[in-house]
Amino acid sequence: MTATENTEPESPEVDPGVPFTLNGVELHANEGELLISAAERHGVHIPHFCYHPRMTPVGMCRMCLVEVDGGRGPSLQPSCMLPVTPNMIVNTESEPTTKAQDGVLELLLINHPLDCPVCDKGGECPLQDNAYAFGPGESRFVEEKRHYEKPIPISDLVYLDRERCILCDRCTRFADEVAGDPLIHFIDRGSQTQVNTFPEHEFSSYFSGNTVQICPVGALTAQPYRFAARPWDLSETESTSMVDSTGARVALHSSQNRLVRIQGVDSEATNWGWLSDKERFIYEATDSPDRITEPLVRDGSGEPVRTRWNSAIKKAVEALTTASDPRRIGVIGGARLTLESQYAWAKLLKGLGAIDNIDAQLGDGLPADVVMGLPKATIASACAPGGVVVLLGADPKEELPTLYLRLRHAVQSDGVSLIEMSPRQTSFGASVAARLNPLPGSAGQIASALADGMVGTSIGGISSGELTTAHELLTSDRPVTIIVGRGNLAESADVVVSAIAALRRLVPNATFLTALRRGNIHGALEMGLTPGYLPGGRPLGTALAGWEMAPPSAGLDAEGILRAAAQGSLDTLVLLGADPLRDFPDHTLAAAAFERVGTVISIDSFLTASTDRADVILPAAMFGEVDGTFMNLEGRISPVQAKVTSPGQAWPDWMIAAEFAQAAGGDLGFGTLAEVRADISASVPAFADVDWETEGASSDGSVVETGGSIELSLTETAPIPPADDYGLRLVVDRKLWDNGTMISSSASLGDLVDDAVLTLAPADLERLGGQSGQEAQVSIAGGDSHPIVVKADGRIRPGVAHIPFGVNGVQAQELLTAGEPVVDVRVQV
Amino acid sequence: MGYFEGFGVTLKKWGEGVTTKEYRGGRTNRKGEISSKDQKAPKPERVHGRHVLNKYEDGMEKCIGCELCAGVCPANCIYVRGKDNPVDDPKSPGERFGYVYEINYLRCIHCDMCVEACPTEAITESKLFEFSFTNRSDAIYTKDELLVDDKGMPQHLPWEDWRPGEDQHTSGWMRATAPSGKASYLGTGWSGELGYGVREGDLPQDEKDASVRDHVTVDEHDDHGDHH
Ligand code: SF4
Ligand code: SF4
Ligand code: SF4
Ligand code: FES
Repeated sequence: MTATENTEPESPEVDPGVPFTLNGVELHANEGELLISAAERHGVHIPHFCYHPRMTPVGMCRMCLVEVDGGRGPSLQPSCMLPVTPNMIVNTESEPTTKAQDGVLELLLINHPLDCPVCDKGGECPLQDNAYAFGPGESRFVEEKRHYEKPIPISDLVYLDRERCILCDRCTRFADEVAGDPLIHFIDRGSQTQVNTFPEHEFSSYFSGNTVQICPVGALTAQPYRFAARPWDLSETESTSMVDSTGARVALHSSQNRLVRIQGVDSEATNWGWLSDKERFIYEATDSPDRITEPLVRDGSGEPVRTRWNSAIKKAVEALTTASDPRRIGVIGGARLTLESQYAWAKLLKGLGAIDNIDAQLGDGLPADVVMGLPKATIASACAPGGVVVLLGADPKEELPTLYLRLRHAVQSDGVSLIEMSPRQTSFGASVAARLNPLPGSAGQIASALADGMVGTSIGGISSGELTTAHELLTSDRPVTIIVGRGNLAESADVVVSAIAALRRLVPNATFLTALRRGNIHGALEMGLTPGYLPGGRPLGTALAGWEMAPPSAGLDAEGILRAAAQGSLDTLVLLGADPLRDFPDHTLAAAAFERVGTVISIDSFLTASTDRADVILPAAMFGEVDGTFMNLEGRISPVQAKVTSPGQAWPDWMIAAEFAQAAGGDLGFGTLAEVRADISASVPAFADVDWETEGASSDGSVVETGGSIELSLTETAPIPPADDYGLRLVVDRKLWDNGTMISSSASLGDLVDDAVLTLAPADLERLGGQSGQEAQVSIAGGDSHPIVVKADGRIRPGVAHIPFGVNGVQAQELLTAGEPVVDVRVQV
Repeated sequence: MGYFEGFGVTLKKWGEGVTTKEYRGGRTNRKGEISSKDQKAPKPERVHGRHVLNKYEDGMEKCIGCELCAGVCPANCIYVRGKDNPVDDPKSPGERFGYVYEINYLRCIHCDMCVEACPTEAITESKLFEFSFTNRSDAIYTKDELLVDDKGMPQHLPWEDWRPGEDQHTSGWMRATAPSGKASYLGTGWSGELGYGVREGDLPQDEKDASVRDHVTVDEHDDHGDHH
């Protein structure tokens, strides 16, 4: 290319950076780079405790002192607080440096107990390592050490041993700066300084486990891992968390073929090393007594009886092949599976079985064409400094907590402006730039007003000021990312879709993150576990070798399948790791469906409410036990790895699909995982170039083009009529800790689930004559009353009643009616 | 050739008598007694036999389930799992106790690395090596079998040949190095132990080295111990 005068950035001379001398070698640092990280990048490790690359340096521990000559003679300076300046001369091995390291370590160890043999950190402890490598080797301190009560639980999941704490400020900084839950702090002064919680407030953060991982000593230990193993008998594999659709990178640690720990891996693209406690501790479920370990078939008396794989599969295949019409078969679930298993099941059902009543979403997501067809953003692009993010979905802290941490960082530190259009206030609190929490049903209307520029007056209770700010942000030339999801299960997905349509009219270049919470849901849709599509987002009817039997017209979604079952027009229902009886946001419909459906075949890892009704129950291997691939909400694929063997006779799902095919006299064309992958590469263009073997080499995985060539034409629907005077419009959303199968099966997490509370605006509660904390009755028109505790909450808009989904007590799904645009409830005190 | 020479060696040795002939495996006669001729040869005081798990004088277990012994074992024959000490019924002082403790004697080479590694003098070796088993599960000693009894003495398992007085010398002072790991340690003290109390500290290493040297010049057959 020919260089012209005015393209200076293209000049071949790359800025070499800031020159400095490290241990006699001349090197370059990046502009503003801290000495400690510049040295690390050049292969010189400076010992440290408090410095953490993902947090602000604070210079608490003094372990990183090195001798620096910035032009005024050498002096000892903390390298974690010191950006490299031109021509700085650094010596990390000089006598003053080593003397300082000796001194710091001797001081740190003065009050440090000799707990290593009983300390969970022993064997992987930076304090041990640094004391060995840089310490004096000898203590001159013979006096009694400082004592505290041995570990005190600071939350249900984390124990604190203050004797071991070296006051590095990592945990407290994390809680405050990264998680935004400043619930632990330093208290007292001098040698009595200690980390502690506030009286009466435990450290109940969704992210508490990260403090255990980053504590450079064993002061913070995790209750589920306490004494479970020692570092030298752990073996480790890197994998991808399938807990939610963020796809955080994790390291699975096992001992004696048992998963005992999950640690976050620093992936630049996704989780930056952080994990939610759900992602971190969910491995406990693999050991649960509720695991299904053998095929079960219900006998004449209705009892599930252990049987052999052969006969169980024969029974299941009979039920599938004797149905008079593939349209009388429905399949729900699949988001828990790996990409390969999803493909195998899609090929079995659609390609071989001509079944298209398949839905991996349980009526709580968004239409598949929208999810696949919207132009995708990445987490990095959404969080890039200076952007604008519209939150048109649930509170990400509850549904996709690691994504929340990334967004929070972007908003707090990188000047990203957040427009909140979620059905209720989210955890971003006061840091949102514009707060537009539409009343249930009116998100489309608000978005249309923004698109039309009608922001001069307040609309639907949202002030003109907020609307104007939002409008200005969206029409500025800053890049816009819209995070879409289902923030309200009591509102139909059409409302979200119409808001998307309007926002796209206003910002045609906007990119999207589809914040669906179910683990591998994006993979499921991409692999064809959704009505109307073949893998790769191609519509039914596309010619595809091996898929010749695929039906010509689209089948039913989950709601349609359950309706068909309830009407008696479904012979067989297949559940792929789904529990509609507990999970579908319309319990009445789900119960009616299970009442009338013919045969239920459940392929699951756990016994659930729905497997209790299943005629054939097949044990599936789960996360941590299977190899495969995961696709996150960006379309990023990264490997999922097996660490332990599955219990009993559980199989990976793709193998079960292959066995089904064989039992039915067909052939899916693969018998190994590599063959499944080759088949995917051959039949899905976006995967043609995927090198499955090296996919795991980088923690970041790679983004594949999803959704093929779906052309979206979305409509902005008319506003929904206002609620009557008695009614409150319902917002039902998810909490991180719910009674989902995995959480209930994890010994330490099951108890974290809250009781259902109905929150409403203080004015509404006053109007009803109720008191915060009292019991009230909630009902839908013509439905039963359910007792529930009510609370006033200033963050809830007048006219709205909020109930969390799937927690203890009142089951919100009993108040929901699938297909209704909004749900109004009556609250009586 | 060579074939009959082998028999020759056997015949010659037959005539010489057997060095271990005093020991006949502790077989009992009809009256259930061991023959008075069935004598074990004396052992040096630091001989490595089957392990014991010691207790403190108050009966608490010394093992804290730290797995250091398992980690250091070159034969990989120790399996330990720790657990939170039950608050109302603690098994050992402190937070953690050895919940599972197993040694597989089909693999143990009696190197005593575990004894060296143990930070609490919980695991030591007795002098007993006269034990044999007829099945694998007997060979894997569990914590219940390894723990000393209420008097601090090793348990006598059915397939072990214990003789009077052999219970002694099982405890902490079998260790060769000081807890600090330094060869030049002075007067190592031992924690109190059920059945033995607090033992006297070892001599400073240089004095000890001298005493060993003297000992060797006096008795060249050090292998056979003091009592020979
Ligand atoms: S924190 Fe490290 S140095 Fe301190 S007791 Fe634990 S393992 Fe030992
Ligand atoms: S508890 Fe750990 S992370 Fe927190 S200040 Fe102490 S040493 Fe640092
Ligand atoms: S015997 Fe000693 S080294 Fe082994 S687990 Fe118990 S305390 Fe640790
Ligand atoms: S790492 Fe620099 S002061 Fe702690």
